[in-house]
Amino acid sequence: MSDMFIFMAQVYRELQPFVAHPEGGGHGVLEMPSGTGKTISLLSLIVAYQRAFPLEVTKLIYCSRTVPEIEKVVEELRKLMEFYSKQTRESNNFLALALSSRRNLCIHPEVSSLRFGKEVDGKCHSLTASYIRAQHHSNPSFPVCQFYEEFDAVGRQVPLPAGIYNLDDLKDFGRRKGWCPYYLARYSILHANIVVYSYHYLLDPKIADLVSKELAKKSVVVFDEAHNIDNVCIDSMSVNITRRTLDHCQNNVDTLHNTIHKIKETDAAKLKEEYRRLVEGLKEANVARETDVYLSNPVLPDEILQEAVPGTIRTAEHFVGFLRRFLEYLKSRLRVQHVIQESAPQFLKDIYDKVCIDRKPLRFCAERLQSLLRTLEITDIADFSAATLISNFATLVSTYSQGFTIIIEPFEDRTPTIANPVLHFSCMDPSIAIKPVFQRFQSVIITSGTLSPLDIYPRILDFHPVTMASFTMTLARTCLCPLIVGRGNDQVALSSKFETREDFAVIRNYGNLLMEMSAIVPDGIVAFFTSYVYMENIVASWYEQGILENIQRNKLIFIETQDAAETSMALEKYQEACENGRGAILLSVARGKVSEGIDFVHHFGRAVIMFGVPYVYTQSRILKARLEYLRDQFQIRENDFLTFDAMRHAAQCVGRAIRGKTDYGLMIFADKRYARADKRGKLPRWIQEHITDGSLNLTVDEAVQLSKHFLRQMAQPFRQEDQLGLSLLTLEQLESEEMLQKIAQVAHQT
Amino acid sequence: MASLSEEVLLVVKKVRQRKQDGTLYLMAERIAWGPEGKDRFTVSHLYADIRCQKISPDGKAKVQLQLVLHSGESTTFHFANESTALKDREAAKELLQQLLPKFKKKANKELEEKNRMLQEDPVLFQLYKDLVVSQVISAEEFWANRLGGVTNTDPAQYKYKQEVGISGAFLADIRPQTDGCNGLRYNLTADIIESIFRTYPAVKQKYNENVPHNLTEKEFWTRFFQSHYFHRDRINTGTQDIFSECAKQDEKGLKSMVVQGVKNPLVDLLSLEDKTLDEGYGVCGAQPSTSNSNRTVKESSNYAIIKRFNHHSAMVLAAGSRKGETPTDQASETSSTDGNSRDSDFFQPPVKKVKLQEEYEDLQQENRPKTVPLNLKKSDRYAHGPVPLQSQQYTTSQDIINSVNYIQHEMANYKPNLTQVLSSTVATSAISALSPGGVLMQAGAQQAINQMVPSEVQGELKHLYVAAGELLRHFWSCFPVNTPFLEEKLTGHLEEMLQTAYNKFHIWQTRRMMRKT
Repeated sequence: MSDMFIFMAQVYRELQPFVAHPEGGGHGVLEMPSGTGKTISLLSLIVAYQRAFPLEVTKLIYCSRTVPEIEKVVEELRKLMEFYSKQTRESNNFLALALSSRRNLCIHPEVSSLRFGKEVDGKCHSLTASYIRAQHHSNPSFPVCQFYEEFDAVGRQVPLPAGIYNLDDLKDFGRRKGWCPYYLARYSILHANIVVYSYHYLLDPKIADLVSKELAKKSVVVFDEAHNIDNVCIDSMSVNITRRTLDHCQNNVDTLHNTIHKIKETDAAKLKEEYRRLVEGLKEANVARETDVYLSNPVLPDEILQEAVPGTIRTAEHFVGFLRRFLEYLKSRLRVQHVIQESAPQFLKDIYDKVCIDRKPLRFCAERLQSLLRTLEITDIADFSAATLISNFATLVSTYSQGFTIIIEPFEDRTPTIANPVLHFSCMDPSIAIKPVFQRFQSVIITSGTLSPLDIYPRILDFHPVTMASFTMTLARTCLCPLIVGRGNDQVALSSKFETREDFAVIRNYGNLLMEMSAIVPDGIVAFFTSYVYMENIVASWYEQGILENIQRNKLIFIETQDAAETSMALEKYQEACENGRGAILLSVARGKVSEGIDFVHHFGRAVIMFGVPYVYTQSRILKARLEYLRDQFQIRENDFLTFDAMRHAAQCVGRAIRGKTDYGLMIFADKRYARADKRGKLPRWIQEHITDGSLNLTVDEAVQLSKHFLRQMAQPFRQEDQLGLSLLTLEQLESEEMLQKIAQVAHQT
Repeated sequence: MASLSEEVLLVVKKVRQRKQDGTLYLMAERIAWGPEGKDRFTVSHLYADIRCQKISPDGKAKVQLQLVLHSGESTTFHFANESTALKDREAAKELLQQLLPKFKKKANKELEEKNRMLQEDPVLFQLYKDLVVSQVISAEEFWANRLGGVTNTDPAQYKYKQEVGISGAFLADIRPQTDGCNGLRYNLTADIIESIFRTYPAVKQKYNENVPHNLTEKEFWTRFFQSHYFHRDRINTGTQDIFSECAKQDEKGLKSMVVQGVKNPLVDLLSLEDKTLDEGYGVCGAQPSTSNSNRTVKESSNYAIIKRFNHHSAMVLAAGSRKGETPTDQASETSSTDGNSRDSDFFQPPVKKVKLQEEYEDLQQENRPKTVPLNLKKSDRYAHGPVPLQSQQYTTSQDIINSVNYIQHEMANYKPNLTQVLSSTVATSAISALSPGGVLMQAGAQQAINQMVPSEVQGELKHLYVAAGELLRHFWSCFPVNTPFLEEKLTGHLEEMLQTAYNKFHIWQTRRMMRKT
């Protein structure tokens, strides 16, 4: 509680500038442990601002990572608004809504039954595209989406009534009105006061261009759970091309060719019309309906050329021929026998020398394909993903000369005999994708439970924060117990570093640690390994040594696999086993899906064991290129970045267990390297301050003793009264002079 | 007494009991004997009451069957039909042999239940001692009233009784031992076999198919331990293994579980991401292909182990909760009662709703007024305190000041009217009536008695009171008297019982009086 107000004081400091100078504004990086009210503090403060200065802060854009997280934010907001209307005794006219993909919002009985997002998008498109609707107009038996028609007819005139709309509320509202919730939400975010959605909608230019283009400049943007934001940025701008992609693309191009041929015989006017439009350089968006803009430009808005499409690719046949040539060129590049790494300008030069493709038509490739697909009235756009990918690649490679690299690998490193050529077009600079966000919006707040070390984020994302702060938890009882286990009982140093990771003694000692823990920790234990391969090897040798059998005496064992569906099932069973008292162990992987999105509250995770330091696979060429780039451009040493990356993932893993002040859990770092100051110092402050000198470099036995003591203490009843005045404040306590001073003091210090 | 609907299993004629000829009837729940020519049974025992049967040795002249009851009594029947006496007795014996164990279980259960009730409920135990042990009332009658409750609550209790789960490590418990000559011995117990069957229904099916027609039990288990199925890390190559089918079946089961997906949206990794990158985008888009062709032998064996553990744990878990699919139901029940009834609830899994609204228990109940916990040193002082607090009208300080002023004013003008005061005797009596122990201070007096009487006497009195209450309960439960049985009970021994109880009380009273004086 007290933490929340200190935190709010900090956010306040950041928002303050644009009351004084509306053109100013500021960005911030804030770290606050999860479960201490980060979301609600941010929401309540910004909402208060919005109410006080409706002209300065018009909109709050709250971005989170997963669908459940998005929905949680909206529920928090609902509570806040209920509190507001209770206190002020008047209903406020705030409109807040969540936006998600069609898969989560569609209510069309047929479309929504599809399981994968891509299928849903494709099917939706085939029912709502403008030419489909035109055909329906002339021939009413042609199927269209009734919900969209209804929305299009009446939905736009009346704005969505004020209120808080979660995904399900939107669907419910849509059902009642007979309107499409997805398009309703997309339309409503323009005038909503608060928008909650995934950060892809802001960072991925392919989507941002469609969804977020018209959001007001005077918005406050919050990126929650943003510890991985650099990777999201990079992912959204990177492209991989395999031989399979090229084959698919070849098919696509053939289909295009045939369709053009057919259309030419029946409806040549259509092609001529398109040509005329392109000559005039009309922007597609001007004529397009919102449902058509299914494909979008992969480059950032400020990079898109406002010119007419160059003549060489203006006619449909020429463009198809152009694509063919480009495709052939890529095929020839994939035929290499050795690894090639080159920059974008080098690639452009080579393509010009070999097949005489200029830079300019390449830049228009994505847009031209988009136009063509629409002209040809191709319904199933999902089929054309390969062609889209290639043309996006063409546009990207010709637009950006900096911050990208091209790596062509003829085979995987593990299997040098099997040819599997891949062309990686890899973005190395996360600041490229996020730059427009920083430039456009007056205040951007990046926050998460684990953002340490804080100073590295502004550097890799290239912005200047007004505030940077790491908050800790005020606890009525020490509910987290980080232990660094550096040695086995036989004094063998425990470490996952490359030289010793296959060592029998290390693996056995890791097994012992897990076994001992399984005997003393109640309910759930989650163990993280550094990689899938490492986990598979360890599990196999534990199996051979009979360690797993002994663990099974205490708890059931579930293991994450690379298959998401299988892992989901294992997770559910794991929770069931924790729920019914049998207790279970989940073996999982850092950087895996589980470590990123699943919380292990209370008894679902009483202990987290991190086996080894989760360094990224350093032999990857893409990573090497990125490290090099970071060193040259941002003066970040390779080792610093690798350690930062490993520690944020480790913190992310162990942080899964503590989701609030009443929660408790052990955090066991099983690697002697954690004891070093340079590693330890990169953990979040709220974990760091509980690592005492006594908990460094423990043996397994010592760790077990400490854990027993900790667990016994934590198992005592813990009531609200115990927290009052310390980590929980009553209104009187909050308003007391002492507390106010404390908050003010802390706010000034940091 | 004989209800006609009873099913008669066996009728044996010419059976003598106490030198009287008659007919023996074996019915569904009891054995009965009636003298010849009368339509009443003079002997009737419930099977549940019978502890055992005894028969006379074969060579004896009299062919007899003796029933020993739990109460220690016994009844002897003499089969007197000369020609078929032995056969008759055998028939009766056989039938009893079949019937008795069934009822024995029930009887035991009942006994256990009674025992449990007595142990759990000290008041009941005391009552039992007071009424049954001192023979005021028979044990049967005592339970007749109680057991109604027992049998009613019974099923419910048994329903909630937890099924014993399976140890997760039951396979680990089968420690193979070397037998010294290059072989392995596995020790299987019935428990382990049961566990294997419950966890792996496929194996059970195989067992039913093959044992004992094709294989002996021993062979079956030998094959089981040799099979690839048991040793999952070995790669399945041979197809003649009877368990290879099991493995396939398991695989199928696992797949179907995976395809079904998970109920809890918060752990569904597939729907976690809001917008996944399309194929081909992203840094590590080219996943290391997971198809089996690319895997080395070691990798696929590792993968098999992992799969096996997941499957094993899931099966163990399922075997434990197979009986009652209650947990999920309960979850949905609790969630629907959380008072959250926005109309959007009806089309989504309620679990989700609950999980989404993260509740911090330490932040709940904030708006409730803070209460001070009651700290009692003497709880019965609290229970009957000296004077129950009247609902008072609290006065504001202004009122008080006003009234003080008023009284001052009155007092200033006060003139005693000495001719109209009470006489001194009346005044004394009024004072005595108002002092502790006086007529008007009853509440205080009650408490005094409470403390005056030694707790030992109180206890005894309490026991007597409870016992009498129990008897009265029996008494009143006889009304309305609409069956001859009840009438008999009323006029017969109930009166007696009440009399006994009264006598008992009287004895106690006099004893106490004597001791006091």
